[in-house]
Amino acid sequence: MGVRSAGVRPSFPRAAATVVIAGLLLPVVLAPGALSANERGDGSGQEGEATLRVGIQQEFDSLNPFLGFSRAATEVFRLIYPTLTTYSSEDFSVVPELATDWESSRDKLTWTFHIREGVKWSDGEPVTAHDVAYTFDRMMTDSAAATANGNYVDNFAEVSAPDDGRVVIRTETPQATMRSLAVPIVPEHVWSEVDDVAGFANRRMPIVGSGPFEVTDYRPQQSLTLEANEDFWRGAPTVDRLRFVNFENSDAAVQALRKGEIDVARKLTPAQFDALKGAENIERVKGKGRRFYELVLNPGAANSAGDPIGTGHPALRDVRVRKALDRAIDRSELVDRVLGGHGTVGAGYLPPIFRKYHWSPPDDERRSFSLEAADRALDEAGYPRGPDGIRRGPSGRPLDFEFVLHGDSSTDALVGKFVKEWLSGIGVEVSLQPVSDNQVNQRTTAGDFDMVISGWSVNPDPDYVLRLQTCGARPNPGGGGLPDSFLCDERYDELYARQLAEFDRDARVELVKRAQGRFHEMATGLILFYPNALEAYRSDRFAGFERQPAERGVITAQQGYWGYYRAEPTERARTAGGGAGYRSAAFVIVGVVLLGALVVFSASAHRRRTAEHRE
Amino acid sequence: MTTNPPSGNVRSRRLAALADSWRVYRAERGGVLGLAVLVCAVLLAVLAPVLTDSAELDVTGVDASALRPPGAQHWLGTDESGRSVLLLTWWGARMSLLVGAAAAVLSMVIGTVVGLTAAHFGGWVETVLLRLTDFFLVLPALVLAIALSTVLSRGLFTIVLAIGVTSWPQTARLVRAQTLTVETRPYVERARALGGGHGHVLVKHVLPSVLPLVFATTTLTVASAIIAESTLSFLGLGDPSRISWGAMLKSAMDTGAVTAGAWWYLLPPGIGIAVVVLAFTLCGRALETVLNPRLRGGAE
Amino acid sequence: MTDTRDRDDVRRPPARAPRILGFVALKLGGGALSLLLVVVLGFFLFRVLPGDPARTMTRSAPVSAEQLAALRHRFGLDQPLYVQFRDFLGNLVRGELGTSYTYNRPVAELIGERIGPTVLLVGTATVLAVLLGLWMGTRAAWRHGGSADRWFTSVGLTLWSVPTFWLGLLLLMAFGVGVGPMPGLFPVAGMSSPDVPPGVLPRVLDVGHHLVLPCVTLVAVIHAQFMMVMRSSLLEEMGEEYLTTARAKGLREDLVRRRHAVPNALLPTVTLIFLHLGLVVSGAITVETVFSWPGLGLLTYEALRVPDLPLLQGTFIVLAGSVIVMNVLAELLYRVLDPRVRAS
Repeated sequence: MGVRSAGVRPSFPRAAATVVIAGLLLPVVLAPGALSANERGDGSGQEGEATLRVGIQQEFDSLNPFLGFSRAATEVFRLIYPTLTTYSSEDFSVVPELATDWESSRDKLTWTFHIREGVKWSDGEPVTAHDVAYTFDRMMTDSAAATANGNYVDNFAEVSAPDDGRVVIRTETPQATMRSLAVPIVPEHVWSEVDDVAGFANRRMPIVGSGPFEVTDYRPQQSLTLEANEDFWRGAPTVDRLRFVNFENSDAAVQALRKGEIDVARKLTPAQFDALKGAENIERVKGKGRRFYELVLNPGAANSAGDPIGTGHPALRDVRVRKALDRAIDRSELVDRVLGGHGTVGAGYLPPIFRKYHWSPPDDERRSFSLEAADRALDEAGYPRGPDGIRRGPSGRPLDFEFVLHGDSSTDALVGKFVKEWLSGIGVEVSLQPVSDNQVNQRTTAGDFDMVISGWSVNPDPDYVLRLQTCGARPNPGGGGLPDSFLCDERYDELYARQLAEFDRDARVELVKRAQGRFHEMATGLILFYPNALEAYRSDRFAGFERQPAERGVITAQQGYWGYYRAEPTERARTAGGGAGYRSAAFVIVGVVLLGALVVFSASAHRRRTAEHRE
Repeated sequence: MTTNPPSGNVRSRRLAALADSWRVYRAERGGVLGLAVLVCAVLLAVLAPVLTDSAELDVTGVDASALRPPGAQHWLGTDESGRSVLLLTWWGARMSLLVGAAAAVLSMVIGTVVGLTAAHFGGWVETVLLRLTDFFLVLPALVLAIALSTVLSRGLFTIVLAIGVTSWPQTARLVRAQTLTVETRPYVERARALGGGHGHVLVKHVLPSVLPLVFATTTLTVASAIIAESTLSFLGLGDPSRISWGAMLKSAMDTGAVTAGAWWYLLPPGIGIAVVVLAFTLCGRALETVLNPRLRGGAE
Repeated sequence: MTDTRDRDDVRRPPARAPRILGFVALKLGGGALSLLLVVVLGFFLFRVLPGDPARTMTRSAPVSAEQLAALRHRFGLDQPLYVQFRDFLGNLVRGELGTSYTYNRPVAELIGERIGPTVLLVGTATVLAVLLGLWMGTRAAWRHGGSADRWFTSVGLTLWSVPTFWLGLLLLMAFGVGVGPMPGLFPVAGMSSPDVPPGVLPRVLDVGHHLVLPCVTLVAVIHAQFMMVMRSSLLEEMGEEYLTTARAKGLREDLVRRRHAVPNALLPTVTLIFLHLGLVVSGAITVETVFSWPGLGLLTYEALRVPDLPLLQGTFIVLAGSVIVMNVLAELLYRVLDPRVRAS
């Protein structure tokens, strides 16, 4: 040792040791800095309190209810802000929420909602009709406030609050969806001080709201914590705390579920769902999905002025070609192979979860899978095969279609592969074009596609998705609008308009079904399947959840707050906290000790060797 | 024997030099191993359509269940749509090697042109080009490649372009240094004195002496290009409709193979990448040793 | 990646520069020029992206043409390109990077939130990788051709040849999820558990626990670079004449190496560490993505998936810019530290 210290410069090994220690200390030094942004304590882990931890794979785009429209954000808004009405967990029927009851004038243009008494904002102020009127009014007058839910107030003429208990809404035309205004109501006394809605992040904790929960802590990209609102008018929730934990992908969420770091994981892939079968303490939930998965065939896109736009293939304007393509797609094979059986074969436009509205083509209209029949149909329609085996249209243009897919979606990639193979069997060439989600939207709106994957989550009230197929949904020349399949059909539009103005439930259901029949007949959008919503939860910490709908429904991402509000924590969830902190601390200590041992060992080995060298 | 030496003489001289280099190369054990692995990999990739049935890559044509573990029928198990992972890995080699090679060639061309031009013309041309090279050298390549692949439409060409455009500065610097050395040699100065134009001097005299080194660098660039391809694919910027190792890993991730414990889907493409990249690296290092006498002396 | 996964070429700055001030000015000027290039590239690159940003912002929400026009106006997208660029530069000088489409928040704010975690991860990993690399490189060169040399070199090269994200996935599978009877020892995602008891120590330990896997992945991939540089630079140093002189003075062999060869070889290597920060940054993007580490790399990945142009542009400028700044610093530092250059 004496020899080593004799040098003017510190010898290398010692310098190294110094720096190793510095390196080990670095995280300790830096960590508080990295944490400081989120230093707020959240006081979790008390004995006897139950926390429900839900893994999510989507970031909250904004906590401002006027701006946020990601599914993660809207789910939080349902938990913290009141809405006039909500959907029952039993069967999606409309039930009172902040509004106790409502009535409409005879001409169906004026609606009066009676506001529940005694409901308070979390800062103690009462919730009144003025808050409701303020919210709608702001959306009608401030374009930034219309970002997320503007479509609800498009048809509004005037909103007023004659007193604390009544809100009166006048609409331009009769609107059957007035009972399902899913707009989060905000406290006027807080929001009237916000001048620039677009620039307001709404991140002052706790966020003033009036739902079953209250947001108390938000760490972007990490977690969002909500505390139970003990004063909620329906009664306090069954859990004391709800926490959404961010994961970059569902794989990470599933692993966290397995280790007990979270209680619920959702949006599982079929492979993950199957892999969790028989896993200890994990209960799987296979819910019927609210989504339909659609293959859109460009029927000749046009804008709202009727001018053709986009690059759609002329052959697809021929309904016979579209129907032939439909017959070349084996939907049950897709459900089996792409979804691993976790889905329902596609039929009508609206998914079967909405039993009332769901429609299936009768046998004589059904286009069952048959490559021979598809082949024959194209022959008969006048699209003979060219010398290369690819069919030609009347103009001599080969049937080569561009199929636009979501590049991020493994489902799209697989469906693309299947469809490409099947269509090549009937002399139709398909080139797959995976692009970003944005570009899918972009190209859809511009009509720059032959085939594109689309899909929508359907609300209990089907008006929104039905509207997508009307002439009115076509983009206007300026670029707005939200087209889906560019169907612009007089008969469909008439059925759509009639259902919107129809206030008799059964009559409306009938009209909705006829509209779906027409949509199927036109074959512009082929409904391939309805994927199941796959979820799983820790059965050692939660005994069960309220599902929506009661029959084979989902436990999270509901149309309402039921699943979280009525979760059933077990005794274990109340007594044992997460505990990960202590365990992790133990592991770190073990790790440091091991590392230290390693350093000592190698140093001594080195010394031994140096000694050998000396001899 | 002035500006236009008899070509036969030159050829035989170069052949002799080549034979000499090969002797040195053979002494590099790693290089020989790498070369052997590469020859096998390339042969397998090229012969894939002959040795295997491409119909089994067609998702509608197979009926095995998804993510089945390795067994007698599928030696490396199946992927999320029931296709053989062995077959996919085999075919994936084609795309990965192709992208790697194409990107490396692109980077080689850019690098050589920039390096040659800078060294030969000097002056402000050199200053500007050097500045640019330095800029691209320090720029985090993945960040730039991400930006490029986001901006351009998805596809094979985009990937090749993104990798090629970000990986040339090393080559450019090497070529420049080598060109500077070569240009001071008597025969080049003689050629110039005798009125050889820029093109003549560069193509006839400078390029031949620079090329071997460029070749060595390109070999190493292929290695990094293959890694880059897989990384870009993993980040979702690849072309998922083509089978490459990167695309396989991406679908393994997306479909939850990690959770399902499908190691047979995750391991083969990664090992494929590692083996091929290692082989290219070993070859490149060996080549550098052969071509750089200073290194040769230092290494042994 | 690519240019950064380069070889162990020892890039030595010019040995003699006429005047130190001139040298500093030259380096600073070059750095400033590079920064400007980054900014220009960052601006124009993301303007050619196909797609209408206004539609990106509204995503699938139905909006009228007027709303779209209003949005375009708010983000200045209706201005001619040169006006946009002028405004962009002006904002940049004030430290503003625009507003993210997806988050509806200032990009600078979003980046600010993420810098801490990235510095923590990258800093720790770099320090560990450098130490490991230097130590291994020294050992390898000392006993050149010995078993340690062979082992370190092969292991280093192999790890070098493995895609970073794949190594991360394997580690995640083995130590995060657990294999067979072995439980997952480390967290699979994020930087901290939300339910850690309050107090600084538990929190730090928790972050440390989360740090292990991403850090190990990053170290495994990048340490080889430093090892190879140190190795070859030390080998070169050991052939130098002054060592022979030192030996002739009667100094013992290992003392000669430790006191003369290593410090001299250390210098170019340490400088190289800064020059290769690009690799570390590239590695950070993939590692953060695999382990959901809430840093700049993950932010880039998220922006990329949308794609959120202002955010991508912001992360591009910040990542590339910081690498360039580090680089200039390294070159200046080298100048100050190297006794040979200083003496001249």
